[in-house]
Amino acid sequence: MTVLPWKRAVRRKNSRESGFEDLALPLFPALYNLAFWLARNPTDAEDLVQETVLKALRGFASFEPGSNFKAWIFRILRNTYLTSRTGLAARRTVALEDELNDRSESGTSLYPEGAIDRETPELNLVRLADRALLQAAMEKLPPPLLEVILLCDVEEMKYREIATVLDIPMGTVMSRIARARTALRESLTAGLTTTREFSA
Amino acid sequence: MTDHLSASMLSALADGELSAEQLSAASEHLEGCASCTTSALHQSLLKAATAKAGVRYAPSPQFQEHLTQMVAEGFSASEPLDASSGTSPWRPGRRVGLLGWATAAVLLLASLSTMLVQRIRQRSEIGSEVVSAERSAFVTEIFDRHLAMLAGSLPPEVLSTDRHTVKPWFQGKTPFSFNLPESLPNNTTLDGANLTYLQNQPAAQLLFSIGKHRVSVFVAQKAGAAGSDEFDADHSGFHVLGRTAGDIQIVAVSDVDPARLADLVDAVELAQKTDPKESR
Repeated sequence: MTVLPWKRAVRRKNSRESGFEDLALPLFPALYNLAFWLARNPTDAEDLVQETVLKALRGFASFEPGSNFKAWIFRILRNTYLTSRTGLAARRTVALEDELNDRSESGTSLYPEGAIDRETPELNLVRLADRALLQAAMEKLPPPLLEVILLCDVEEMKYREIATVLDIPMGTVMSRIARARTALRESLTAGLTTTREFSA
Repeated sequence: MTDHLSASMLSALADGELSAEQLSAASEHLEGCASCTTSALHQSLLKAATAKAGVRYAPSPQFQEHLTQMVAEGFSASEPLDASSGTSPWRPGRRVGLLGWATAAVLLLASLSTMLVQRIRQRSEIGSEVVSAERSAFVTEIFDRHLAMLAGSLPPEVLSTDRHTVKPWFQGKTPFSFNLPESLPNNTTLDGANLTYLQNQPAAQLLFSIGKHRVSVFVAQKAGAAGSDEFDADHSGFHVLGRTAGDIQIVAVSDVDPARLADLVDAVELAQKTDPKESR
């Protein structure tokens, strides 16, 4: 028999408390890191994390033991961000761009041959070694692409987990990651060109 | 596979997300395609570099400590908190660490009875601070939900002005039942409703219009200290009004005149006191 989440038996207080602490405490730095990337300032990031932890605390009774806690609490963080003022503003700003990109993806070829970087690994290494340049490129990503690349590369989540956190299909996760990396490469190329021009 | 690997395939390859079949086909292609091999290498390098560059921001020790205390105390909201805990609302400047220790030193010199009285008072104040912080977070959540509805410009999940359509729509979706008022205040109409979540619990978001003002009335099961009492609050030009009726919690938010909002909330509250069979 399927039991609805809110009808599950309430676990004992002490085990619930220690269970939440054990699961949540190690994730605070990761939650804050993602919150800061999304909110872009420390005050909003702290508010976002605090609200997330409060919501997770209250909703922990509905968390199914043995399921993916990290995906669960990151989903709360992400939903909290979406309904925050900064999140709403970001969503409105990128909506059109996202729509256009989705439309362009509906063609026969998602990424034409020319869009894929075919430069030498040596040149790539030079660019990737510049951490500041890469961070600047990441800052330029629209939130839907930034969050997916952070969850994938920094949090090392599987596509299935990312789909759960962002509440989107796996195919969309795949295409967003590819788009994010294409955008990063383009920014890095542009950044390197600018750097060379200045040093010349 | 004769075509070059797509960007999605290359990404999935770097992320280890290809199925065995896809991996086999990709490997076969990479053996004979220098261009794609270079791109695959670049994807892996980019992934590794992003993983490092992405770990950029770390919470301050004070904030981490605050969160840890919040978690520890969150499970004992009914129990008073220790005076030195420096609880919510979070801001380092508001912490009372040194002052707390100085106060404690003074209290040690005072009589046992005085110390007890002071401790009780401090605990009570901090306990109310926690409730206040929870209330503040709750009001923000209500406000955000309402704002998301306004900004979304999407039709309600159940689009009807008929309470006999709106109420049954929630059957099986919420672990509680509620009534909708038979008659609404003047110039007030029911627009529909959404299923939403408050404090991670399912709730009904009833959408009304009072004149041209949009109103969200959230109906949920009473839970936690934040929304269990009756309260009035203002948030960014919106008015938030909380009421309870039995086990049901009613919270309304709008930018309409608070008195008119109160009339609507009163009507919803009154409806909960009627026999559910009558309201069907």
